[in-house]
Amino acid sequence: MDRRDFLKTGGLFLVGAPTVYGLLAVAAPATGDRTGIGIHRWGMVIDLRRCPEDCTACLDACRHENNVALHGDPRWDIHWIRKVKIRAKHDEHAPERAVPLLCNHCDHPPCAQVCPVQATYKRADGIVIVDHHRCIGCRYCLIACPYNARYFNYKENEDWPNKKYPKRSHGVAESCHFCAHRLDVGDPPACMEACRGVRAGALTVGDLNDPDSEISRLIAGNSVKRLRDDLGTEPKVYYIGL
Amino acid sequence: MEHDYRPIEGNSRGYYLLLATLLFFVAAGFFATFWMVTHGLHLSGMTNRIPWGLQIVMAIFYIGLSAGSLVVSGLYGIFGKLEYKPFARIAAFLAMLFLIAGLLSIITDQGRIDRMFVQPFTHFNAQSMFSINPALYIGHIMICIFYLWALFKEKGRMTKVASVVVVLWALCVHTGTGAIFAFTPRELYNTALLPPSFVAAALSSGAALMILVLTSLFKVTRRYLDVTLVLWLGRLLAVFIIVALYVILIENAHRFYLIESREATTYYLFKGYHAALFWGGLIVVGSVIPALLLFNRRTGTSLKWIIFASVLVVLGVICERYLIVLPGLEYPPELIPGMEIVASALDEGTVRYAISGLEVLQALGVLSLIGFIFVLGLKYLPVLPTEARALGPSQMLKSMMGGAVDRAVARHHARAVERGHIIETLD
Repeated sequence: MDRRDFLKTGGLFLVGAPTVYGLLAVAAPATGDRTGIGIHRWGMVIDLRRCPEDCTACLDACRHENNVALHGDPRWDIHWIRKVKIRAKHDEHAPERAVPLLCNHCDHPPCAQVCPVQATYKRADGIVIVDHHRCIGCRYCLIACPYNARYFNYKENEDWPNKKYPKRSHGVAESCHFCAHRLDVGDPPACMEACRGVRAGALTVGDLNDPDSEISRLIAGNSVKRLRDDLGTEPKVYYIGL
Repeated sequence: MEHDYRPIEGNSRGYYLLLATLLFFVAAGFFATFWMVTHGLHLSGMTNRIPWGLQIVMAIFYIGLSAGSLVVSGLYGIFGKLEYKPFARIAAFLAMLFLIAGLLSIITDQGRIDRMFVQPFTHFNAQSMFSINPALYIGHIMICIFYLWALFKEKGRMTKVASVVVVLWALCVHTGTGAIFAFTPRELYNTALLPPSFVAAALSSGAALMILVLTSLFKVTRRYLDVTLVLWLGRLLAVFIIVALYVILIENAHRFYLIESREATTYYLFKGYHAALFWGGLIVVGSVIPALLLFNRRTGTSLKWIIFASVLVVLGVICERYLIVLPGLEYPPELIPGMEIVASALDEGTVRYAISGLEVLQALGVLSLIGFIFVLGLKYLPVLPTEARALGPSQMLKSMMGGAVDRAVARHHARAVERGHIIETLD
């Protein structure tokens, strides 16, 4: 093969490959608005000053509401919301604090970016949610999530406490969806309801688009932090007192 | 220069025994996969913290192997090295099979295999490396088939066009495979050097495997393989090893130097079993020793030592593939900078991956399946040449390795005359 042939074939390839890829990208169904009611933009504020250290009301409510699997083995247990104890690195005498961790419903969710079948997607109202009937169980979202907030159903979930909400088969990924099924009908998420139920009031889910909502006022009136802000994922869970 | 291709007879007891053994492992792998799909992936060694395991390691290993085979194939197609034409068919055939193996490893690793054949096509996500890569792999397999067809039909021009396309496409395939990891916001994964280092390791492992396959096939079928051809491949392998080593060292030096990633890199390079895999497996056994063996004039011209070095390189690259996937998962992401998590319901700290028996069966099953197709192909497809002769004593080899080449050729020549492979002398 002489140089002319090489350049010709190479050039053809360099033009051809992106064209084919571009066609595929165009032909693929749009990623945009997959529901999203109204013009809400849901977010959460966690006020750590009001979160009692040993309270598990939100965890229990979430597990019950969403039929989240608990197998009794930390390798496969699923926690849409979990509570961890943190302290300053390399300092055993530093004070410990309890922090609830959950899906941050990023505005730029890496989990949705990497999902090969668009089973994980961001709704128009900002909720990051999984279509469990589409997920192929590749677990790429667990790899991409910088918050360890995604879980995979390694085992069949035997418990089904809340018959009004489906449980997931083994072989699909899942994570918190801000109780989208409740928000859509005007109810607060189960965790927030439980938190108010025990008069703690640490969790507030609300509309970030509405400047008069409770959550907007909390964010405006306090010093808030988001987890791994540096990654540019634009998380929508704000912490007060972290 | 005309080349003859003659399939093997494939009537011996050994041949059927080999087929039966491979089929047995295919069945075992199928059973393991079926069992996991019906009972859940907790039967693997994977957890919520280690979502990817052996199957992904093997997938990227196989995909890497296919690259090196193609380079050997491309020696004829692109660089016009006529003496390597006899290997072009078998190399392209192997490249295709390894891609199938890679794709199969990924498919069998899914939680819902039943959806694998519909959803990725109907809901293609142009942003996901896991969408782009299967498209690249399938395209690659099809180009390989076209390339093989052109080789079988001896279409001169078509072969050259196909071999250029296939090598360029392979470059995309390997860059894409490296990008699966590099394009995620995870420490120890998100380095732009990962795709190039993936390509470099792919070339060295593939060239090493080609040396192993060619020497063993020609020996088993008692066909003549000119030693200078292998010597030259060994030389090529040595260069690939150096390139791979260079990229891997600079990649780790970079992340060790930067304070932000030093803790993760320290864990990766100096703590636990990774350190043994990295320094012992990848650097010493997989790169330095084989490079020294291949560059040394005495061992670098000995067929036995070249084969030994190739085995070491393949082992080293298996370590490298493992090190791409697992340490980045075992090391925890920094959820709250400056803080450490001391108690949680999830395993938040560093964790260990433990390979389960079923995963090993799956991996063996995939390998046996392509082995089965390969062995059948030897019988039914004209892939194996009757002989492979060098065009003459290679001046380039001689200038690099000196008189050792002459001595190696003379040794080999004497043996070939003894066995009746050479009746007239080549000189």
